[in-house]
Amino acid sequence: MSSGFILLLMGFLFLAFGYLGVPVAFSLIAGVLVATALTPISFPSMIAQLFNGVDSEALLAVPFFLLVGELMTSANVVGRMINLSQAMIGHLRGGLAQVVTLFSMFFSGISGSSSADVAVLTRTLAPSMGREGYDAGFIAALIASASTMANLIPPSIMAVVYGATGNVSIAGLFLGGIVPGVLVGIGLMIYSYFFGPVGHMTPRSSFMGLFNAAKDAALPLVIPVIIMGGILTGWFTPTEAGLVAVVYILVVAIPCLNWRHVSELPFDFIKTGLLYSIPLITVAAASAFGWMLAYLRGPDQVSEWITHAAGTDPRTIMFLLVAAFVIIGDFVDAIPAIIIFMPIINKLTDIGGINPVHMGVVIITTLAFGLITPPYGLALLMAAKFVDVRFSVALVRSLPLYVVFFAAIAFCIFFPDVVLWIPKHVLPESVGCFKSPAGTGYICPT
Amino acid sequence: MNWRSRLVIDAQHHLKWRALDGLEALTMVVCGICLIGFSTSVFFDVLTRTIGSPWLWLQEVTSTFFVYGIFIGAAAATRRNDHLYLSAITETMHGMARRLVETFNRGVVLAVGFCMTYFGYINFLQGFGNFRMPSMTPLASYYAVIPISGALIMLFTVEQLWNGWRNGFESAKAEPERVLSYE
Repeated sequence: MSSGFILLLMGFLFLAFGYLGVPVAFSLIAGVLVATALTPISFPSMIAQLFNGVDSEALLAVPFFLLVGELMTSANVVGRMINLSQAMIGHLRGGLAQVVTLFSMFFSGISGSSSADVAVLTRTLAPSMGREGYDAGFIAALIASASTMANLIPPSIMAVVYGATGNVSIAGLFLGGIVPGVLVGIGLMIYSYFFGPVGHMTPRSSFMGLFNAAKDAALPLVIPVIIMGGILTGWFTPTEAGLVAVVYILVVAIPCLNWRHVSELPFDFIKTGLLYSIPLITVAAASAFGWMLAYLRGPDQVSEWITHAAGTDPRTIMFLLVAAFVIIGDFVDAIPAIIIFMPIINKLTDIGGINPVHMGVVIITTLAFGLITPPYGLALLMAAKFVDVRFSVALVRSLPLYVVFFAAIAFCIFFPDVVLWIPKHVLPESVGCFKSPAGTGYICPT
Repeated sequence: MNWRSRLVIDAQHHLKWRALDGLEALTMVVCGICLIGFSTSVFFDVLTRTIGSPWLWLQEVTSTFFVYGIFIGAAAATRRNDHLYLSAITETMHGMARRLVETFNRGVVLAVGFCMTYFGYINFLQGFGNFRMPSMTPLASYYAVIPISGALIMLFTVEQLWNGWRNGFESAKAEPERVLSYE
């Protein structure tokens, strides 16, 4: 049987099972097992492949970042960050819509999870927005769109998985993600300012009001400093930075801000213990799927098609990959998509001579956009459900916001120097620079 | 809220045997213990490296807790219906069509659980001949979790199939809104 046929069968079975309602992880494993039966590979070695997918030190960061988000949310200390956002920009046109976006940027620096962001915003700001007359469709669309920044602004769980599976610097991806993250944030604020509902604008906060709000939010806002500061100074790996942030929350933030929550901590650990297993069993399954894809020479075939159409021009390759991932992201969850298609991404990165961090940032931004596109726009689905509005209504209100994402993705493709500017200057090794033998500065690949 | 009600999810109770509630609670507690376990071992790993006398075996402890947490969590998520899904098409179906599709879906999960149990057990047996460095612990201790997870997944799937055919897969009352996700 030809490898092309087995590849198609494996992909078809995964999608067919998945869309019939079999959990993603089991759909992937079932597709792989059927393919295994048609190849000389032994079943025990394929089952052992599930281990190899998760036996990675870098992936340990995922539960720590999830735990940070869970502890901050369940201990209810994020209200202080909302107050700070309100004091900073609540007086602008759009009022709470602006606050949602700014708060998401702050919270993205803590959790790395869009779901946590959606859960917090729909619980805290959505009811106030409803009372101030914002329509429910807009509330859900804005919250879902803003929550995607959690996957762009560091720490990002997608960046951890991308870095761990693609052998790309996670710190480089974190730093590179800042540009599209801030672009999306600014884009959403501009949209809310000019085209969104006027909302209720609070009086401009006094300097003392702003100072007090900043003082109240200081303890939670130390977390992004710990995470990025630790990684950039070389003190911690991303995994260790996540752990240090957890220790900081347990020892400092919760006792100081909500000490009564201490008795609830065992449940937070239990819930996060379950929560981290869900993406990571999918990672395990997707890595077996990706392994089989590589065995059947799938990356060679797909990269041949793409290079046939695009040659070796990096921009055309990236545009074709983005188009492919916009479609893939509509149907497949981001984490398995990254792992399954990583061999293809790596191959095309080599062919186009593209910086791996640049490619990673573009792919992650595209997959983050997939969180608000139908039919599998997870963030939009969650936001619509929590705000209690029909998905179709939220979808229509989110369509104009797609422009912000298209602009951010196009910007990242056309201006790699801007995307890589921060990593190149803060952590040159992360983008392939090396110390000059003359001892003055770094030599970077062009 | 007592411990039990916080560890055992109430949703889709018509698909569950009460006798297995304790097992669900146990898997949840194991998930929490694994998270605490590898958090602690990473902490001591960093600490002992910082003070210049690293305990190398801590990395084995970390990866063991980590992997056990993932696979036991996958089993717990099967009973709690917390896995990631591409679609919820079955929830729009009724009657025999739903019964057949739900049965087919769980048949797929059952087959995967069986493969994890059987082939995972073969790996487990072979793991006695290979050792993890530096502690020289047999790899079998690491591989054991896949057949355990597979067996639990099979058990929870059979439970849902049995009760689904007896009580119907559709819930008699509206399920509480609940989304567990990570992205």
